[in-house]
Amino acid sequence: MQLSGTHVLNAPVGRVWTMLMDPVTLARIVPAVSSLEQIDDNQYKALAEIKMGPVSGSFSGNLSLLNIRENEGYSLHVKQTSKIGNADALINIALKSLDNDQTELTFDGDARLSGLLARTGQRVISGVANTLTKQFFANFDEALIHE
Amino acid sequence: MSNKFIGQSIKRREDKRFITGKGRYTDDIVLPGMLHAHFVRSPYAHARVSSIDLDEAKAMPGVIAIYTGDDLADVNGVPCGWQVNFRDGEAMREPKHPMLIPTGSTAKHVGDAVAVVIAETKDIAIDAAELVMVEWEELPAVAAPADALLPDAPKVHEQFPDNKAFDWTFGNPIEEVDAAMEKAAHITELEFVNQRVVPNAMEPRAYIGSYDETFDKYTLYTSTQNPHLIRLLMCAFVLGIPEHKVRVVGPDVGGGFGSKIYHYTEEALVTWSSKQLGQPVKWTSDRSEAFLTDAHGRDHATKAEMGFDADGNILGLRIKTVANMGAYLSTFAPAVPTYLHGTLLQGLYTTPKINIDMTCVFTHTVAVDAYRGAGRPEATYLLERLMDLAALEMGRDPAELRFQNFIPPFDGVEQPGYQTQVALQYDSGNYEAVLKRGLEMLAYDDFRKEQAEAAKTNKILGVGFSTYVEACGIAPSAVVGSLGARAGLFESAQVRVQPTGKVSVFTGSHSHGQGHETTFVQVVADKLGIPMDDVDLVHGDSDTIAFGMGTYGSRSLAVGGSAIVKSIDKILEKGGKIAAHKLECAEGDLEYAEGKWTVKGTDKSISFGDVALTAYVPHIYPAGLEPGLDFSSFYDPANFTYPFGCHIAVVEVDKETGKVTLKRMIAVDDVGNVINPMIVDGQIHGGLAQGIGQALFEGTIYDENGQLTNGSYMDYCMPRADDLPMFETDRQVTPCPHNPLGVKGAGEAGAIGSTPAVVNAVIDALWSAGHKPKDILMPLTSERVWQAMN
Repeated sequence: MQLSGTHVLNAPVGRVWTMLMDPVTLARIVPAVSSLEQIDDNQYKALAEIKMGPVSGSFSGNLSLLNIRENEGYSLHVKQTSKIGNADALINIALKSLDNDQTELTFDGDARLSGLLARTGQRVISGVANTLTKQFFANFDEALIHE
Repeated sequence: MSNKFIGQSIKRREDKRFITGKGRYTDDIVLPGMLHAHFVRSPYAHARVSSIDLDEAKAMPGVIAIYTGDDLADVNGVPCGWQVNFRDGEAMREPKHPMLIPTGSTAKHVGDAVAVVIAETKDIAIDAAELVMVEWEELPAVAAPADALLPDAPKVHEQFPDNKAFDWTFGNPIEEVDAAMEKAAHITELEFVNQRVVPNAMEPRAYIGSYDETFDKYTLYTSTQNPHLIRLLMCAFVLGIPEHKVRVVGPDVGGGFGSKIYHYTEEALVTWSSKQLGQPVKWTSDRSEAFLTDAHGRDHATKAEMGFDADGNILGLRIKTVANMGAYLSTFAPAVPTYLHGTLLQGLYTTPKINIDMTCVFTHTVAVDAYRGAGRPEATYLLERLMDLAALEMGRDPAELRFQNFIPPFDGVEQPGYQTQVALQYDSGNYEAVLKRGLEMLAYDDFRKEQAEAAKTNKILGVGFSTYVEACGIAPSAVVGSLGARAGLFESAQVRVQPTGKVSVFTGSHSHGQGHETTFVQVVADKLGIPMDDVDLVHGDSDTIAFGMGTYGSRSLAVGGSAIVKSIDKILEKGGKIAAHKLECAEGDLEYAEGKWTVKGTDKSISFGDVALTAYVPHIYPAGLEPGLDFSSFYDPANFTYPFGCHIAVVEVDKETGKVTLKRMIAVDDVGNVINPMIVDGQIHGGLAQGIGQALFEGTIYDENGQLTNGSYMDYCMPRADDLPMFETDRQVTPCPHNPLGVKGAGEAGAIGSTPAVVNAVIDALWSAGHKPKDILMPLTSERVWQAMN
C-alpha cells in the first residue's frame, strides 16, 4: 500500500517539529491511534483501532523514529501484529519552511500487509489510506488551533 | 415392470437426504470426548520461524495441547505420488512437505502451518492460536511461475537454487518439429497465461482422527475423494502405522473437483494427535483457510506456435510452458502438466509433428494439483485458442479450418484406434459430427449475418469454438506406471447377493456429487433384472470396501463401473450353475433375462431370488460348488477412454464498457454410452459453469510479496446463476470399445471444452469490430476487454 500526501500547516517549522516529536500530540493527531507509550529513545508502543471494509480490529504495534533531522523530518517505522494480520510500514516525513507562518509537510511511504488484512482488506485499502491521510492533516490543523 | 434402467433419467436417490439437510458430512460427526484443532499459519509467503512462544496460549483454560514442528521432527512429510524426472535423467526434486514448520526453518507459502492448538472447543482453539507468539523473519517471495526462473529470484528451497522441480520434453524430437515449422506458410503464435484458480468445493476440508486404545486401531473420518488412497499414503509414507490398524471413512463429501484427492498434512496430524491425547481430534477448515491451503489448479505460462501450409493444413505444433507447482509437490501434481497435458496436444487434429517443452517450478504459493480436467483443460485451451486465432489471422472460417484438420471417424472396432504423436492411442472418435451438430444448433450462417449487423453498433457479437478430446477413465496401471505413477489405477468392486436376493454393492469409487448411488445401482439392477430398490451401494469406508483408487479423472463408471460388471458376470455364471442344477438341465440350455433363468424355448424358469436363497441354503445344490453368492473383482482398464465434443460460445461485448455478456453456450458432448442422461447433463452443466468461471470471473491475485489478495468470497469472483445463459446441450454416442459398459466418463468435459470457447468468442467479437488482439488475459474483466479495444 502506497501512502503519500502533502499539506501546508499554518505554523512555523519549529512548532510543527516540536509537535511531531511529542508523543501526546502524535497520539492525538495520528488517526485511529488511541495511545502512544514511550518505551525507549524514539521508540513507542502504539495502540490503534482500525476498520478497513470488512476487516476491523485493535492493533498494537511498535513505532520507531529513525533518521531524525531537526526541523527537517524523520522516518517513521511502524510494525504491528494482530489477529487479523500484520503491517510493516516505513514512512518518510519531510518538513519545508515556506515562510514564518507556514510549513509544508510531505510524507511518502509503503506499507506491507499480510494475513487476513492482505487477503480481504486489499480492495478498500487505497480508500482507507486516503481517508486516514485526510484525517491526519485535519487533526494536525485542529491541534495547531487549540494549542 | 421394466427392469431396463440403463439410459433412464432416474432421479438421484441420494438427493433426498441432501436436500432435506440430512447428509452426514465429516463436520456433522461428533464423537465422545472429541477435541478441536486450529492451526497457527504463516501470514507470510516466505519467512523464517525465529522462535515460538507457547506459554500464554498453553495457560488458557480449555487448551489441551499445542504441537509445533519441533514435536514432529521425526514424522515424515506428506509424499508425492508421481515421479517425473528431468530430461537429462536427474531425479525429480522432492523437498519434504513437513507437518508443521519447525523453528529455524522457513514457511514457504501464506498458510503454511507452524503449530496446531488442540482444545476442548473450536472457539478456545482459535482464541489460543492467537496467543501463540511466533517471531517471524520475513524473506523475499516469488509467486508467478515465470518469475521463479529469473536469475535473482528468491529461492523456495535452498537446496534447489534454480527453483526447478523438473523439466520435461515430450512428443516428436524438437528438430523434426523445427523442420516442419520451417516449411510453414503461416505460423500462429500465442503467448498466454492459463491462470491459477481455486477449486472451491462447497464443503471445506474436514477431518476427525480417533484412536481406540482397546483395539489399537485408528479411525480417520475425512472429506476425501479416495479413502483407501489416503490410508495407503498416510500409513505407509507418513505415520508408519500398519494399514490393518487404520480405518479411513469418507462419509458424505460436498464436492472436491480434484482438491480432495490429495493427502494433506492436517489429515495425518489429527490422526497422530488423537493417539498422543487418547481423544478424538477434529479439524474443519474455514473458507479463508481453504483459499490458502487447498491445492489450486492450472497456473501455466505458455508460448505456443502452430504452423500451417498454404492450404491451411496443420504442419506442426511447438510449445514452451512454465508450470507452477507451488511450494511443495502435492500428491498427483507432477502428472498434471506432463502426462495429463502433453499427451493431449494432438487434440482432434492430424498434426504430424508436436513438441512440448515444460519447466515445472517451485514458488512461494500453495501447491498446484489436479483441478477438474487436470492438464486437459490447459491442453484444450492452448489448442483451441490457436485454432480460432489461426483462422482469424489467415482469413479462414474457424469451423472449416477444423473440418479440414480433423482426424477422420474411427470406431475402434472395425477401424483401429488413432495413434497420436504424443503416446496415446485414442479409442474411438467421430469429431466432424459433433461440430456439425454444434453449428446446426448455433444456426451458424444466420449468426454471421447478425454479427455483421452488430459490428456497426456498440454491442458487438462474437462466436468462439472449442472442439476437445480428453483422456478419462484413468488409467491402465502398467501404462501410468511406466510414466512415473507410484500406484496402480484399477478399481475394485464386490457384489454381495444376500440370501433373500437383495444386493449390496461395495465400490472403491467414492461418490461426492457424481450420483453413484443412483447410476451404479441402475447398472446393477439392469444387469440383474431386479428392482433398483433391491440394490444398495456402499462406498467410502476402508473397513467394508476391499480397496479403491478413488474418484477423479472421470474414472468412476469407466473403471469402477466395469469392476462391478465383472462381479455381476461372476454372479450370473455361478447362479447359472445353481439354476441348471435346480431345473435339471444343462447350463447351456439356460438364458438369463428379467431376473430369472429360463430353459430356452420353455416356460420352465427359476428366479434370481430363489437362486440366491439356494446359494445360502444349499440343500439341493451342485456337487463341488461353494455356497454363497458374493464376488469381488478388480478391473484394470486396457486404455484410457477418450470423450470428445464441441463447445460453442456466443458473447456480446459492450464497446463502451468492455463488459462481456455470455449469450449462448452450446455443448455437444460424446461421452460414450450414457447410464443416466439427467446426471450426465448435470455434470456437463457444472463443468461448463466452472470453465466459464475461469474465462470470465475467477483467478487468484498474488501481490509482489506472495500474499493472496483475493482469498475470500468478497474478493474472489465465482460464477453465479445470473451470469450464465441457459445451456444448450446435446449428445452423440460413440461407445468406448474397450470397457464392458461402453462408457467414457463425463465429469470433466464441461470444464475442459468451455473456457477457450468463451475467450475465443470475445476475441472474435473484437476482430469483427476491427480490433485485432491476439490474447486477453483471463479472467476477461470489463477493464481488460476495454483495454484491448482502446
